[in-house]
Amino acid sequence: MWLKTLKLKLLIEVLLMADAIFLALSVLTIGSAIAALELRSLIYGSIALMGTLGGVAGFFLLLDSPFVAMFQLAVYVGSIAVLILFTVMLVKRELIFKKIEDKRRKFAGIALMLVFMVGLGAVIMDSGIKSVTTDEPAVDFRDIGADFLTYYWPALILMALILAGSVTGALVLARREDVESEQRTD
Amino acid sequence: MSVIAPKFKFSEFVKSILDNLFWAILLLSLIGIPLTQIILFYIEMPVINGELLTPFLALTWIADPSRTLPIIKAFMTTDLFRIAAFPGFGFAALLAAGTIFVERKMLAKLQLRVGPFYCGKIEGILQLMGDGLKLISKEIIIPAKADKPIFWAAPVIFVGAAAAFVALIPVAPGWVVADVDVGLLAVFAVIGFFPIITILSSWSANSKFPFIGGIRALHQMVSFEIPLILSLLGVVILTGTLNLSEIAASQSSFPWIIFLPIGAIVFFITMLAELERIPFDLPEAESEIVAGWLTEFSGMMYGLVQLGTYLKLYAFAALFVVLFLGGWNGPMIWPPFPEEIITKGIEAGPITVMIPGLPVFSQEMINGVIWFVLKTVGVIFFILLPRGVFPRIRIDMLLSLGWYKLIGLAFVNIFIALGLLYAGVLGPGGIL
Repeated sequence: MWLKTLKLKLLIEVLLMADAIFLALSVLTIGSAIAALELRSLIYGSIALMGTLGGVAGFFLLLDSPFVAMFQLAVYVGSIAVLILFTVMLVKRELIFKKIEDKRRKFAGIALMLVFMVGLGAVIMDSGIKSVTTDEPAVDFRDIGADFLTYYWPALILMALILAGSVTGALVLARREDVESEQRTD
Repeated sequence: MSVIAPKFKFSEFVKSILDNLFWAILLLSLIGIPLTQIILFYIEMPVINGELLTPFLALTWIADPSRTLPIIKAFMTTDLFRIAAFPGFGFAALLAAGTIFVERKMLAKLQLRVGPFYCGKIEGILQLMGDGLKLISKEIIIPAKADKPIFWAAPVIFVGAAAAFVALIPVAPGWVVADVDVGLLAVFAVIGFFPIITILSSWSANSKFPFIGGIRALHQMVSFEIPLILSLLGVVILTGTLNLSEIAASQSSFPWIIFLPIGAIVFFITMLAELERIPFDLPEAESEIVAGWLTEFSGMMYGLVQLGTYLKLYAFAALFVVLFLGGWNGPMIWPPFPEEIITKGIEAGPITVMIPGLPVFSQEMINGVIWFVLKTVGVIFFILLPRGVFPRIRIDMLLSLGWYKLIGLAFVNIFIALGLLYAGVLGPGGIL
């Protein structure tokens, strides 16, 4: 009996939550994520990945944070997806990928994903997210910037150092003296 | 008896015209008007002359001149008008069309040619229309081994992205399609879509020349996006906002180019590279790789890509104006609307005509649009000018210019802005 009322309650809650845009975005995000994994063509897979990242940007817009949404679009769709596309286009995929088709692997993967999602969901539900009121005004990005420069400055410095280190490392790795001296004639 | 119409009779001709007229009136009154009324019931109607405009009154503007102007004004405040006509697509497409003609004619004069000459009586003024008709009527040919969905979608998405860019540009105070709080970031996000579209379309054509052009375009756009973003940060630091309307309004006394000339120059150069214009037109270098990533496009697909390119050109020039040249700000040169026409009406002999709803546009708006268009046309002129002057540069020179010089100069610009801000000269709470 209590199970039935619980189910009914959950159903009502889901229906109340079900905003049309939210549903459309969820379908787009999850659908294109599945497509990105399952499509045989790598190019279409990376386009589907772009759809997923764009859907996440849409979620940020729904959550009243256009700043993060625009950065999601500019960085993930605009740069990282381009990187993936570029790599995929210049690669003969038969040379690196061996097809391993296995029912057991597939089910194991799905089970692992379910375990992971349930765990994450439990953590999120336990974190006090239900006490958040939704009609509060959105946080201004200027306040976030001010917080970053005052209270969270060690985190900012750490991030800057990590980024600078990775950029320098990439430059060092990409620099090839032999090729450069061979190609340059001037 | 003519060969084309062997059984021509004048009475038959008149009868056919009358027949067509009869059917047109019948269909309009039986289907057209009811359908219009049904649609009007679902549209939110404005309040005109103190009473709500109902669908029953909607067609009275044809007969009643006192209602015409208010209804037109109410229509001009709708989103549809803004997107399709004035600050949005129509306005930008008009400026883009003008740009294409001026570019061809000016380039010809610079190179001592005549340019478009025969189409239209005066200086080939109808050349553009002729080109458009030709492109529309040409067959669209798709390469046999092309990836058809992407190949079809690429020109349309390209125009869509360019139109999204145009939608973010404020033309006059309050006249902008999308007045978003993070406008400049939205511009960066939209600019990020162009390399994707280019590389996808060039890959989908499955041909050598487009692919080489596409890879060049990708290199060029991705490496010039970084100095582009960095060169605009100086303006953001000094204004303390990302909203393009507020940035334009903040330059009412002086434009930012006075204090940030290095940023303006860097932005101008990166703009040339993002627009694939000479001297950075490696992606469509016609003397090396046919037409670069545009090689396999034909007919109206090519036309769409060209339209998108010129919309993008207008949008970049307008962005330069908004960020560095003061947007719509300028001395008032448009005379105020004569007061007596509003209060007394137009007197013509014995008749006095009162026209309610005047003035249609405010003085500030017309003045702002005039200054904005003047500045934008000037910037477009300076974008077009290098085409008649410079040769194309090598790709390694291009990349070293982007990665070493422009990024360095952009940082210098940021430090100038920071110095002005911390010295208390400019910015929020500054002395100027």
